[in-house]
Amino acid sequence: MRSSYLLFLLAERLFGVKLVGAIEILPWRPSRRVPLSYSYVEGLLDYRGNVYPVHNLAQRLGLGRPGPIGFIAGQNEPGTKGQSIILLEENSVPFGIVVDSVMRMMSLEEPAAAPEKVRGVDPKYVTGFSYEEDQEIMILDFERLLHAD
Amino acid sequence: MNEGTRFLIVSLGDESYAMPITRLLEIVVPQALRKDTNLTEVFEGKFEFRGKWIPVLNIKKILRLPGKPGTSLLVVNSAKGVLGMLVDAVTEIIDTAQKPVPVPKGVMNPTLQYFGGILRYRDDLILLLNENGLLP
Repeated sequence: MRSSYLLFLLAERLFGVKLVGAIEILPWRPSRRVPLSYSYVEGLLDYRGNVYPVHNLAQRLGLGRPGPIGFIAGQNEPGTKGQSIILLEENSVPFGIVVDSVMRMMSLEEPAAAPEKVRGVDPKYVTGFSYEEDQEIMILDFERLLHAD
Repeated sequence: MNEGTRFLIVSLGDESYAMPITRLLEIVVPQALRKDTNLTEVFEGKFEFRGKWIPVLNIKKILRLPGKPGTSLLVVNSAKGVLGMLVDAVTEIIDTAQKPVPVPKGVMNPTLQYFGGILRYRDDLILLLNENGLLP
């Protein structure tokens, strides 16, 4: 079965999110910081009457960025490299994620069962992989990402 | 006037927060607070209000915000009794038909009850302080 996915890049890896309901893509902007929130929550964003929590996805997934010496995890300077915010919803709960760049929408084969091991990402947050033109696309499980604390 | 439609806007550092005005008894500029070693570190001391000693909270310390404790003292009636809260300044009182939006799930540990919701204020979002959840 094929479904529509939005593909985006984060820490030089390709990810996909299934398109369910409305989706918006915005240039990165500062959001309202919430004291004592989880470290990967940038803040709250008001957009067209909805309040979206904005998740720094790289930090949430513990994705490293190429640094001067090897990879340094969790060193994300928000909004510095022309990042985007994708606003979406999971089970009618709206939320936003910060990504490096939005690639395109495309129809993909639904990923098979979740893999046991994923390089650099906790496999519990990964639904599976889809492949298109020899590219590996990681499909994330946002329900788990949002609620597994 | 319906209850909960007027909010006090206060500043803590460079950010604004709101509080339902129905909880407010008085705003005072406190003279020296009396230290009380029986109180935990989130309290700055105690203050004599209408003949009774009330504990005074340093909200910045609770919310881990940088800077000195505020210099305006709000005396509020919380579910746990009358208490004082130090803020940097009281900016204004707003009158709004808004119902506070709950803080979305997954933003912070649900056992922390510091914020009673979110309001829109001057093209921005502000957090509503929950006077009942601030006490340790």
